[in-house]
Amino acid sequence: MSNHMEEYAEDYTLQELLVVAAAREVKDREVVFVGVGIPCLGALVAKLTHAPNVILAVESGCIGATPYRLMLGIGDNACGENAICVTSLWRAFSDQQRGYFDLGMLGGAQVDKYGNLNSTTIFGDGDYYNPKTRLPGSGGANDIAISANRTLIMMNQQKRRFLEKVDFITSPGYLDGPGSRERNGYPGNGPAVIISNMAIFRFDEETKEAYLDSVHPGITADEVRKQVSWDLKVSANLKTTPPPTKKEAEIIRIVDSQKIYTGGGLRSLTFENYINMLDSSYERLKAVFS
Amino acid sequence: MSAEDTKKALDKRMSLKESVSRFVFDGCSIAFSGMGGQQVVAPTYEIVRQGQKDMTLMGDSPCECADYLVGTGQVKRVEVAWLAFAVAGISPNYRRAVENGIPRKIEVREFSNYTMGLRFLAGAMGLPFMTTKSLIGSSVEEYNDMIKAIDDPYGGKKVALVPAATPDVAIVHVNRADMLGNAQYLGFSSNAENIARAAKRTIITCEEIISTDDIKKAPNFTTIPQYAVDAVVEVPYCSHPWNMCYAYAYDLPFHMEMMAQIDSEDGFKRWIDKWAFGCKDHEEYCEKVGWGRLRKLTQIERRFCKCTS
Repeated sequence: MSNHMEEYAEDYTLQELLVVAAAREVKDREVVFVGVGIPCLGALVAKLTHAPNVILAVESGCIGATPYRLMLGIGDNACGENAICVTSLWRAFSDQQRGYFDLGMLGGAQVDKYGNLNSTTIFGDGDYYNPKTRLPGSGGANDIAISANRTLIMMNQQKRRFLEKVDFITSPGYLDGPGSRERNGYPGNGPAVIISNMAIFRFDEETKEAYLDSVHPGITADEVRKQVSWDLKVSANLKTTPPPTKKEAEIIRIVDSQKIYTGGGLRSLTFENYINMLDSSYERLKAVFS
Repeated sequence: MSAEDTKKALDKRMSLKESVSRFVFDGCSIAFSGMGGQQVVAPTYEIVRQGQKDMTLMGDSPCECADYLVGTGQVKRVEVAWLAFAVAGISPNYRRAVENGIPRKIEVREFSNYTMGLRFLAGAMGLPFMTTKSLIGSSVEEYNDMIKAIDDPYGGKKVALVPAATPDVAIVHVNRADMLGNAQYLGFSSNAENIARAAKRTIITCEEIISTDDIKKAPNFTTIPQYAVDAVVEVPYCSHPWNMCYAYAYDLPFHMEMMAQIDSEDGFKRWIDKWAFGCKDHEEYCEKVGWGRLRKLTQIERRFCKCTS
C-alpha cells in the first residue's frame, strides 16, 4: 500500500487516479497477469513505487519484464524488456491455471453484481447470432477470470454497463452467487475489486455481491448509485479514494508522456512525438528503476 | 509434392508469392502466429493479392490476418478467442461481418486464448483434444458446441475438453531461420511452436535467413525444428506496423492512421487498394511506408533491447 505520509499531488487527472487505484491493488512480490491500458500502467507504477519485486506477466509469454517504456500491448517488445523469462502463451496460461499467478487484470463492456464480465457481445434487440454490437471477445480474459488467484476489474461507470445480469458471461465472476465457483471447479478465487471512473467496489464475503467501498474525490454515493442497475449496498465505512502521490504522478507522466493511456493522446500521436516518447522514457525510467 | 517431400527438402527457400500460391488454397483452414505483436502482416497482404477464398481461420487473437481477410470476404468461418487491434482499436471488418453480414455472414466459434493454445497443443501432440479448467460455466462454453464440459473421470470436479486444431496451413513469423526451416525466436513465441507443428503445411517467414552453423550456435533458441517446416521465406519488416522483438518497435501512429481509414467499408477498400493491390510485393510496401521510417523503428528498438546471441 502507498505510504499515506507521502505528499499527494496537487493536480492530477481522473485517469491518473485510476492508474494509482489499480497500482495500489498490487502487492510486492506478487505475480500479476496484466492486459493493455490503465491497469497495465498501474502495475508498472506499482513496480516503480511500493512493489519493486512484482513480476509482470503477459499473455504472449513474457514474464517479469522491467521495461523502460510504456507497454503498448500484451505482445509489445516492452513486455520482454529485461524480462526474467520469455516463453510461450500456453505455458504462461498453464502457470496461471497451476496457481502461480496472484492477480489478473480484466475489463469489459458490461459487469454484473457478481462480477461476471461481458467483453463479447451486446445483444440489444437481437441475440448472440444477430447482436447489436460485436465486441472483440474473450482473448485471455476467461482464463484469467477462472484461474488467477484474484482479479481486478476496470470499468466505465454507466447504468447500462453495471447490470443485474450481463448479456453474455465472457469471464465468470461469482456466476449466480456463493458456491458457484467451487461447483465449477475454478482454481482462482474470483474478483476482488471493481475500479470505475467514479468509485471502487469490493465483494461481500458472504453474498459475493459487489458493494460500494470508496468514492473518488468529489463523487457522492448517490451519484454512483444512479449509475448502477442493481440495488447497490454501501459500505458502513465508505472511504474516499486517495489521490496519486507526487511521486506516482511524476512516474505516470514520464511513462505516458504522450497521454496514450491517461488522456486523448492516441488520436493526435505523430510518428515524431511517438519516437520521442520512447526515446525520453528510456533514460528517465532507467534512472527511476536504479 | 507430398507433405513429407517438402518437409524433407534441404533448401526450402522461396518467395512469399510462391509459398502462398503453393500452400494456401480455396477452402483451406489457416492459422497465423503472433500475439499482441509479431503479427503476420506481409503474408496477409499477399493472400489478399492472390484471393484465396472460403477459408477457415483458426487463431488465438489475430489482427490484420483475421480482420482484413474477413473484410475482403475471403474467410467464411473463424475459430478464435478475440479479434481486434488492441490499443489501436476494435476490429471494424469483424463487426460489419457479424452485425450486418458485410461483405458476408461468417460462422464464429469462440474460445479463449489459452484454450486456442491448447487446441494447437493437442494438434501438435497428435492427440484429439486437451483438457482445461477454463471456459466451464461461461457463455463461451454455452454458445460453442465444440467445447465439452465433463466430469473428471478420475473423480475430481468438472473439466472442459477442447478439440485439436490441425489447420491445413500455418504461416509463422520468426526472427531468423536457416534454409532447412530451423526457426528461432529471440523474444516470445506465443502459440507459434504448436501452430507450426499442428498444421499440415507450415510456411516460416523470418526477418533474416541465417546459416545452419549460426542456428547451431544457439540451438536453445530453435522453437520449430526443420521437420515441421515446408517453406522458408525471408521477409524483413513482415510484422509492420506491429513490433517484432529485438528487431523493430511498434508503429502505433501508422496503426492509428489505418484505424481511421478502415472504419468505413469504403475506407477499408481504399486501404486494401493502396497497401495490398497498390504494391506488387512486400518490398514495394516497405518503400511506400518509407525505409527511413522503418529504420527509425529498428534504431529505437536497439536502445531498449540488444540481442547478445
